[in-house]
Amino acid sequence: MKPSLLLSLVLSVLVVSFISALTIGAADLTFNQVLLSLFGNVDEAGTVAHSIIWQLRMPRSILAFVAGCGLAMAGLILQTITRNPLADPYLFGISSGASFGVVIVMTLTGVGFGFYLSFAAFLGSLLAISLLLLIAGFNRHQQVESMLLAGVALSFLFSSFTSLMLYWSDPQAVSAILFWTLGSFSRAQWDLLWFPCLVVISCLGLMLAKQRQLNAVLLGDEGAVTLGVNVNRLRITMLLLSSILTASIVALCGGIGFVGLMIPHIVRFFIGQGGRLSLIITALVGGVFMLWVDIASRVILDNQELPIGIITAAVGSLFFLTLLYVRKRKSVI
Amino acid sequence: MSFKQDIDHPIVKVSNLSWSTSTNQILSDISFQVPLGSFTGMLGPNGAGKSTLLRCLYRYITPESGQVLLNGQDISSLSNYEFARKVAVVLQHTPQHFDLSVFDVVALGLIPHKSMFSNNTQADLSLINTAIEQVGLSDKTECDFETLSGGEKQRVMIARAIVQRPQLLLMDEPTSHLDVKYQIQIMELAKSLGITVIASFHDINLASALCDQLLVLKQGRLHISGTPKNVITEETLSTVFDVCAKVSAHPQHHTPHVTYFYGYIDKISNSSNDKNESEGD
Repeated sequence: MKPSLLLSLVLSVLVVSFISALTIGAADLTFNQVLLSLFGNVDEAGTVAHSIIWQLRMPRSILAFVAGCGLAMAGLILQTITRNPLADPYLFGISSGASFGVVIVMTLTGVGFGFYLSFAAFLGSLLAISLLLLIAGFNRHQQVESMLLAGVALSFLFSSFTSLMLYWSDPQAVSAILFWTLGSFSRAQWDLLWFPCLVVISCLGLMLAKQRQLNAVLLGDEGAVTLGVNVNRLRITMLLLSSILTASIVALCGGIGFVGLMIPHIVRFFIGQGGRLSLIITALVGGVFMLWVDIASRVILDNQELPIGIITAAVGSLFFLTLLYVRKRKSVI
Repeated sequence: MSFKQDIDHPIVKVSNLSWSTSTNQILSDISFQVPLGSFTGMLGPNGAGKSTLLRCLYRYITPESGQVLLNGQDISSLSNYEFARKVAVVLQHTPQHFDLSVFDVVALGLIPHKSMFSNNTQADLSLINTAIEQVGLSDKTECDFETLSGGEKQRVMIARAIVQRPQLLLMDEPTSHLDVKYQIQIMELAKSLGITVIASFHDINLASALCDQLLVLKQGRLHISGTPKNVITEETLSTVFDVCAKVSAHPQHHTPHVTYFYGYIDKISNSSNDKNESEGD
């Protein structure tokens, strides 16, 4: 498929998805009400509808969209720099670091929500990623391998710390933490949205700027070096970028697995990874996917919200099994 | 050095180059010059240091001692992109994990020439398409690189090198694992570019047929260098490659042509111990 055609397709799906995300939910709103409160006047839409849309669903949907974009981009970055189709922000201990930060704050202070929790999650991810960078930075020759192995090891290390803290804490904290690690967009607020938005937009800019170099890395470190690319520095920069992306999202939304892994593969199924448009399309598809996951989380159970992580993990694993099946058939033919 | 070709204009001048790992001396005291526009072949048994020497030349590793001059300029003084604008490299393998198209791969040759946010101009596009045409792959421009045959992949890498517009092309056994036809095709293609080429060869006859100058490495030292006629002798084949062979003139262009003799089984069983030792490459 032509990338430009796919882009316009994805953009139109995005518009539809976003309006659906504003319309569908616990409170019954009509499509008309949504349009009126978006573009018309408040009185015709009804003040309740207006505040549901502007105070609840709008920030929530923006957060879902931005989180999807960011995680898909982080996955694409990591898969590219490690040349490993299984790479994902969660493979590198980024989210277990975040959970660790959250658990410490929750068990020590009893605070269960708000800015401090996000900040703790952010610090936790940064801690995990600095350890990873330290390890990968020392071993410059087999950087990719050591990075992957160290990431998995760190991920387990932080999980064990988290479990230990949970073991010592009271049941209420345990369920709060469990809910947090499964991910949710219910914490979306206008005044916290700017940070992930800023991070996602600037990372997209940087990725577009470095797109040629990223492509070069796909063809091997040695080949990239002969094209003048400083591969080690590029890899560290991109790893740092994807961790800031993930950390800023995990801090607000909790752990949402599989999106970073899945979306780049889906996009690759339709168009090659080479062009700049494919980066943008990957980010947009991630956002659209997350909008629908959020919609599903609101409507699957009556009067209750299903954690995001459950849905993405279920869809993600099914997706993987399908991918395996398709690949197997491809290789047979 | 026994090499006596006209070297008034050496583009590459290597002097006293050495490199070692923590345990092994891989290259010792290598010096040679490469005349502008010439096609230089590098020969030697596995583990002789061909790839390591090339890696020093394309700055993937830094020599322990010695110097490499490119047009009289020390290559270590150049910036990454400056160097990549002068020297292009075609490697033996190109690992590939995600689907880049042939066009994408060839376009990588622009990297040293482009700044961060610049888009491909019309001139860039025509440069890429001309290069793809030059290696005869116009009908495969949009194909996945991964789906190409080994010979086609190497032609794509040469097209990438063309887009890079270098003064010097380095090739590290670009034709191993390829069918005979493609071995000849790839090397003739490289020669037809009209720039200086240094390539390592596995096939002595191919090197002899195409090269202006040969460098023969043995255990990290430059054993002999010169024109194919001077270098490819029965004596070199026996001391460097440890084979018994007859050298005659090739019927087409009268360069030295090697015919090997057989019967090495007895030798293996006699010298199995030192064979094991020398296989560690």
